Amino acid sequence: MGTDTVASGMTYGSGGARVAVAIVDDHPVVLEGVRSWLAADPRLEVVATGDNVDAVLSAGPADVILLDLRLHGRMVVDKVSELSAAGQRVVVYSEHHESSTILAVLDAGAVAFLAKHEGRDHCVETVLAAAADRPYVPPSLAGAMVGDRRSTRPALSDKEREALLLWFQSMSKASVAKRMQISEHTVKQYVDRARIKYARAGRPAATKSALLARAIEDGLIRPEEIGTYRSHASPDRPA
Amino acid sequence: MSSERLRIAGATVATTADRGGRIAAVFIAFGWHFAVNVPGIATGWTDYRVPWAAAAGWVLFTFVGVLAGARLFYGFAVPVFPLLAVLLIVDVLVIAITPDAIFFHSANWAWGTIGWFALLLLYDRGIGPLVMVLAANAALGLVGVLAATPDGNGAINLSRFVMYIYGTGVLPIALVAAMDVLRATAATAAASESARAALESERLGAAHAQRERQERLGIVSEAAGALLHDLASGRADPADLDVQRSCALAAARLRRLIAESDDVPDPLLHELRACVDVAERQGVPVDLISVGDLPELDVAIRRRLAEPLAATLATARDWARVTVVAQPDEVVVSLTTPATAGPAKEAHSWAMNGVVDYWYERDEELLWAQTRWRAA
Repeated sequence: MGTDTVASGMTYGSGGARVAVAIVDDHPVVLEGVRSWLAADPRLEVVATGDNVDAVLSAGPADVILLDLRLHGRMVVDKVSELSAAGQRVVVYSEHHESSTILAVLDAGAVAFLAKHEGRDHCVETVLAAAADRPYVPPSLAGAMVGDRRSTRPALSDKEREALLLWFQSMSKASVAKRMQISEHTVKQYVDRARIKYARAGRPAATKSALLARAIEDGLIRPEEIGTYRSHASPDRPA
Repeated sequence: MSSERLRIAGATVATTADRGGRIAAVFIAFGWHFAVNVPGIATGWTDYRVPWAAAAGWVLFTFVGVLAGARLFYGFAVPVFPLLAVLLIVDVLVIAITPDAIFFHSANWAWGTIGWFALLLLYDRGIGPLVMVLAANAALGLVGVLAATPDGNGAINLSRFVMYIYGTGVLPIALVAAMDVLRATAATAAASESARAALESERLGAAHAQRERQERLGIVSEAAGALLHDLASGRADPADLDVQRSCALAAARLRRLIAESDDVPDPLLHELRACVDVAERQGVPVDLISVGDLPELDVAIRRRLAEPLAATLATARDWARVTVVAQPDEVVVSLTTPATAGPAKEAHSWAMNGVVDYWYERDEELLWAQTRWRAA
C-alpha cells in the first residue's frame, strides 16, 4: 500500500486552522476506520495515510502522526524515538497494551499512547491534545503509569497515583471525582501532572520539552517543580 | 513447588551427601581404636607402668567416641570441649605410663588416635579447632619424646616424632578438608537441581496455560468466524442490536486472549478469569486487564480479593471491566459495569496479613466495586 495524500495539510494554530493528522497503519480496515473517526471531527483533517512512516511524511507536514506500533510484524519503537527527537508529535496506538510496551513508547518521546480498543472519543481527544502539546491520558496509559515499578519511574504523589488508579479502573472522571470527593477538573489535573512527570523522565526529546513548556504555560506545574520531579515532598495539590 | 520448599529440598540433598562423611569418620576412628589400639595395649600390657590405666584410657576414648557419634547422627547435645579435654588427659596419661623403650610402639596408642576422635567431636566446626587439638597433641608428644630420650638418640627420636605426628595428623585434616569441598559441591548441586526443578515446573505450567489458551482461542475464533461469515453473507445485519452484542462479546474475548501475557497463570488471575468466563457465557463482554506482577498471596487473601467482585460480576449486564493492579505490597482489583439494582453503598475491611478493604458504590450510571490488599 502506498501513500495516499488526502488533502494539503494546514498547520494547526494559525487562526482556527484544522489539525493536520497523518495515520500510519498496515491494516487497511483499521486505517479506514480510524480515518473515518478523525475525519468526522471538524477540528481535524487527515492529510495522509499509509503503511510506511517515511512515505506518509514525505507527502507533507503533519501536526500529529497517529502511528500503529506494529508495522509489518515489527515493533517500531525506534521510529517513535527518531520522530520525537526531531520534534514530530507522535501518538502511538496499538493492540499491544502491556505496561512495558506503553512505558517504552513514552520513554521514546511519544506524546500519548492509545489502546486500539479505547475507541473514537479517546482517539479524537488524544490527537487534539497532542497537537496542542497538552497531555492526554487514556485509561490504558494510566494503568501502565500506576503499575510502573521501574527504578527510574518518576515519584508520583499519593493523590496523583490514586487518581490514575481510579481513572484506569472506572474510565469515568465523574466517578473518580465523586470517589475522591474532588472536582472533575482536579481529577484531570492530578492525572495530567502525573503524565507531565513522565515527560521529565528518561531521555530527552523535543516533544517532551514541548509538553513541559506547555504545562508550565498552563500553570499545571511550576518551573521549579521540573527539576525536582523525583521529590516525594512536592506539594500534592495541583498548581 | 514454592521456592521455600525447593530450598528445603536442596538443603536435604546437601545433608544426605554430608552423612557419608560422618559415617566414614566414625568407621575410621573406631576401626583404628579396635584394630590397632587393642593389639597395641595387649602387647604393651606387661610393660606399662600402670597397665589398668591404659585399659581405662581406652574405655574413656570409646565412651567419648560414642557420645560424639550420638551428636553427629542424632543431634545429641554433648559438651564438646570438656570431652576434648578428656581425650587430651588420656593422651598425657598413656604417654606417661608407656616405658621409654616402646615410646614409638603401638602400645603408646593415644597420641596416634586422638586426631580421629577429635575429628568426631569437631566434625562440623571446620579445620581450625581440629588443627589446634592436633598441635596440643604434638606439643604433649614432644614433651614425652624429650623426657623419654636418653642422650645421644635425640636427633633420631625427633625425626621419628615428626614423622609420627605428620602421619597421624594429616589424615584427619585431609578428611575434614575433603568433606568441606564435598559439602560445597553438594550444596551447588542441590541449588542447580532446585533451579532445574523450578524451571521444569514453570515450563509445565506455561505449557498448560498455552494449551488452555489455544483451546479457548479455537472456541472464540470459531464463534467470531461464524459471525463474520454471517455479516459478510448478509445473513446478519450490523444494525441488529443482537448482532452488535455478539460482535462486542467476541471482540472482548479475543482481546482478553491477546492481553494474557503471563507465562505461568497466577492463581488470582486464574480465579478472576474463571468468573469472567461465566459472565461471558451469559453474554456479557468483559475486559480483564492486569498490570504489574502479582506477589504470592495466601488463599484467604485471594478469596477476599476475588469473591466480592465475582458476586457482582455475576449480576453484570451489557459490559464489565475488571482491572488488577499489582505491586509487591499492594494488590487492587476492581470491577465496573453499568448500574443494575442493588445496594447503593457497601464497605468492609478484613485484617489478614495486612488488610483487605472492599467498597462498592452505585450511582445512576456505574456500579463500581474494588478490593484492595495492602501488606502489613
